[in-house]
Amino acid sequence: MKKSILGLLVILSMIAVACGGSSLEGEEVFITGALVGNDAAGFQENFDSFTEETGIIVSFQGSDNFEQEIQIQMESGDTPDIALFPQPGGVVDAAKRGYLVALEDVGVDLDEYKASFSEYIVGLGTVDGVAYGGAHAFNLKSIIWYQPAEFEARGYSVPETWDEMIALADQIVSEGMNPFCFGMESEGASGWLATDWMEDIMLRTGEGTVTYDKWVNHEIPFNDPVVKNAATLLSQIMHTEGYVVGGTDAIVSTYFGNAQDPMFSKDANGNPGCFMHRQASFITSFWPEEAIAGAGTETTVFPFPAMDDGLPKAALGGGDMFAVFTEGNEAVNAVVEYMLSPTFFEAAAQRPDNSRIYGHVEFDSSLYSKDITRVLADAITGALAENAFRFDASDLMPPEVGAGSFWKEMMNLAVEGPGYIDTALNNIENSWP
Amino acid sequence: MKKYSQQEKLFNFGISFLALGAFPLVWFLSQAILFRELTDLISRNMLVVIGLLVGSSFVFLLFSGMERLIKLAPRERRDSLEARMFAGPSLFMIGLFLFYPAIRTIYLSFKDRYGTSFVGLENYVWSFNDTEMLVTLRNQIIWLVFVVFFTLFFGLIVGWLTDRLNKGEAFFKSIVFMPMAISAVGASAIFKFIYEYRPPPLTQIGILNGIRVSAGENCYNNRVIDGSLKDYADSSCNRAIGWLQQRDLSNFQIGQNLESASWLDNVLVNLPLNTVLLLVIMIWAYTGFAAVVFSAGIKSIPTDIMEAGQIDGASELKIFVSIVVPYIKSTIIVVGTYMVITVLKAFDIVYVTTRGDLETNLLAVKMLDEFSKYRNIGRSSTVAVLIFICVIPIIIGNTYREKENSSI
Amino acid sequence: MNRNNQKWYDKPITKLILVAIALTWIFPIFGFLLSSFRPPEAIKRASWWESIYTGEYWRELTLQNYSEVFFTENLDRSFYNSLAITIPSTIIPITIAAFAAYAFAFMEFKGKNFLFMMVVASMIIPLQMSLVPLIQLFKSGIELGGITLIPALDINGTFVATWFAHTGFGLPLATFLLRDFMMGLPRSVIESAKIDGASNMNTFFKLVVPLSISGIAAFATFQFLWVYNDFLVANVFLGVYKPENLVVTSHMSQIVVGLFGEAWHLRLSGAVISMIVPLIVFFSLQRYFIRGLIGGAVKG
Repeated sequence: MKKSILGLLVILSMIAVACGGSSLEGEEVFITGALVGNDAAGFQENFDSFTEETGIIVSFQGSDNFEQEIQIQMESGDTPDIALFPQPGGVVDAAKRGYLVALEDVGVDLDEYKASFSEYIVGLGTVDGVAYGGAHAFNLKSIIWYQPAEFEARGYSVPETWDEMIALADQIVSEGMNPFCFGMESEGASGWLATDWMEDIMLRTGEGTVTYDKWVNHEIPFNDPVVKNAATLLSQIMHTEGYVVGGTDAIVSTYFGNAQDPMFSKDANGNPGCFMHRQASFITSFWPEEAIAGAGTETTVFPFPAMDDGLPKAALGGGDMFAVFTEGNEAVNAVVEYMLSPTFFEAAAQRPDNSRIYGHVEFDSSLYSKDITRVLADAITGALAENAFRFDASDLMPPEVGAGSFWKEMMNLAVEGPGYIDTALNNIENSWP
Repeated sequence: MKKYSQQEKLFNFGISFLALGAFPLVWFLSQAILFRELTDLISRNMLVVIGLLVGSSFVFLLFSGMERLIKLAPRERRDSLEARMFAGPSLFMIGLFLFYPAIRTIYLSFKDRYGTSFVGLENYVWSFNDTEMLVTLRNQIIWLVFVVFFTLFFGLIVGWLTDRLNKGEAFFKSIVFMPMAISAVGASAIFKFIYEYRPPPLTQIGILNGIRVSAGENCYNNRVIDGSLKDYADSSCNRAIGWLQQRDLSNFQIGQNLESASWLDNVLVNLPLNTVLLLVIMIWAYTGFAAVVFSAGIKSIPTDIMEAGQIDGASELKIFVSIVVPYIKSTIIVVGTYMVITVLKAFDIVYVTTRGDLETNLLAVKMLDEFSKYRNIGRSSTVAVLIFICVIPIIIGNTYREKENSSI
Repeated sequence: MNRNNQKWYDKPITKLILVAIALTWIFPIFGFLLSSFRPPEAIKRASWWESIYTGEYWRELTLQNYSEVFFTENLDRSFYNSLAITIPSTIIPITIAAFAAYAFAFMEFKGKNFLFMMVVASMIIPLQMSLVPLIQLFKSGIELGGITLIPALDINGTFVATWFAHTGFGLPLATFLLRDFMMGLPRSVIESAKIDGASNMNTFFKLVVPLSISGIAAFATFQFLWVYNDFLVANVFLGVYKPENLVVTSHMSQIVVGLFGEAWHLRLSGAVISMIVPLIVFFSLQRYFIRGLIGGAVKG
């Protein structure tokens, strides 16, 4: 009697184990990244449906000092399971130092991956033919925010070329106001906004995307004349008297998330603090609450002006890329699979404050909460198709430069003035490993 | 001297090794492994409770365990074993946790960015030629001079004056001491609020800019008067300034009016305002510490000496200068030394406010930056060694003083 | 001692200078504290002194900043973490340092003076210098010539790592101060105890420790405040990517980066909340603290 009951129990338990799909229930997976505030909340929300289905608990911790913290974490051996790098360059660097697990080794089908996110993007996180970086969300950077109502009221027309934009700026200054908002303080990352300006200019001068690629790969030195030209034009924006509201003080003291606040504030004469703000599409989640609702309508974008008719239109963008530290963990593999699926971004996309654009080609863009996001998403996919989309250069360069000297020298350039351009470029060139 | 047989010697050695070596190692390992395994196994709350209990009591186990083992040794050996048992853990940990890393750092300062190949004095040459490093060194000197001087100065004043009071001594001392209880991050947040900059036409919420912007006719910090908004947009009004970004005084009236004629004017115009604004935070925090220590020192001055001064009709100031200060001279030196060491290690304030940007950098921040931002192990170690070098003369001086005192 | 001089010196000018200094010292905290009770949009719209001037302040008063910070995710958990780190990190170094201080003050052993000089010298070593070597030590141990002196423990991310890191960093000052303090105790009492045949352990526990209690309390307060307020060591050795590993300081800095970029309203209340515990500890132990500092430093 006992034997058969025992046997029954054994068989039953084996069946239970075999059928128990929720063997991963309660497993925890940890993700870190540089997302903060609303973006971080949105990212976390993406996993709600996943947790419901699989029982795997995913927790995300974001930080403004992510770049430095992840270095220390890698050094100390105490790494999260997955890290969402704001720069593919960081992924490449970590991979080269042997800290990462190849995507194939966590169960990713590379062909499917490339088809879903485009080869260019996948290539950004590849080292020696092995893919380490998982694509995530993008943002479009070649845009300038403005308020059509303000333009109309004063008879300004939207500039389509650089010269038109400068002329408009001069006009605004002569009327006693400031044309540009510009703020690039960002804790350990201060200075990145100026690098964005330079990148947009690089894409539209010289030989366009060709010179750009050479610049990123260090096939031309950082103090090459084309780069210097870009820096000079950047300096024109930053340093010309009256161009930036608050002057160079504002540039280096204002947190980038608040840099556009003057546009939404009127002074005693009823004039807004500034009229144009060149900033990536994700900035909307940093706006004051009242302004967010008007994203795409009251406050919308025009494309970064062209500078050389001979060159094809190019688009600059950025995005994060996640990388995996933990191997052989089924829960982690499941999370990675989910993160590369077409439905991953649904929760975040529908948040009213969302401005990030998911990179999966099959993602249902009608889910974006704002029209403007959809428009920008289409712009990105269009540019990708024509190979006119380029990833933010400082995010692709080695971290010593892209997250180090490039940013720092931009801050110095802002306060020192145009005379500092050569020194800045030389310093950056010398710091290239 | 009792002669020990081979056997006894071996036995003695065994006990020493066991009590002073093997046992502590086991003690440490057991704790470490216990927690490493527990961390993932049990709930967080349980972990915290166990952590509190074990962490607080385990250390006593170390000493009682060692003592038990020592009792096994012959009586004559016990004293010297005990001495080593008492002092051992402290010396060992200091050696392992501080000296070993320090020596390793000195070693690494002669290597390249990856810490692999030898580059001799290259990093040191860099540290005295690189513009950023020179600025950092300049800042460190400025911090040393101002922070040490003013902390001692205000500390002495508060310590002396509170002693002269009938009532309220503890009250005033507490107020001045309070900033010590606040973390550097908290203190920096408080001062960041004072120095805050917002681009126009936004309201200035930091008091420095608030005052600056409101100075002048018809200049208001966005105040609503009679239903209409009055701001500071007019060109006759001062504009707000990014205080923590001022590398010199060129933005101020003073800076613009001075000709670089005299040496003093030159220095003034180039005064790195942002560095000064940051070191003020440290003065604010540490004056209380100095005041309390000085107060104690002053209280120990014998009354007859003080009375002699009064009888002679000397003024308060004279008494302070010619009696009090000389008497507590050694206390002043002790506090001064501590402040010098603290300033050389200063990190939090700069890291949390400006991250060392715009010429506010200090050595300790630069060291971490070289490590995690620029990934240059050689240079990072070199900067650390520089911090060392600065302090050594002071430590040597102090040790001589100790020797002098103890020989008296 | 000085009491009969009181009246002669208790001049109004003394009070005046002290009041001026006290006001200057408390002013920064004052503005900060006041602002923490203002709603976020008010903080952005009008400065705190303006709002007091116009009387708006009293109408604006709110606790919402505090509730927003307080009830956000698990601040209490971070608080427990902070305690779980701080308390052992105070007890362990003090115990070890007290034993060592006793040895330096009352025992004889080879190289005592030289070793003490080393202890003093180690006070300079900035903790940033030890961070990376310690991280690597905790992760992979030490090998010398193929012999594993300390095995690869991989304990980064546990409480133990932080306790020992904090202990290591706090020992030099602790040993130095306590030994200084013990040197100031009446030697005769200790000597006579030894003559009576008391063992070192007994003398230590029953005589020296009770006599040194204010010095110990002083240092304990100091260490407690330092460890509780610490940001760097907890970040590095306990790690911040697991939300359950956050301590109050790192948790605060994360919340505060928050919502709409600036979030001064969160930063204000967050900072005040983080200051409450240290201030309570400070005010209640103030007496011992001051007495202890006196004992230690003045003898020098």
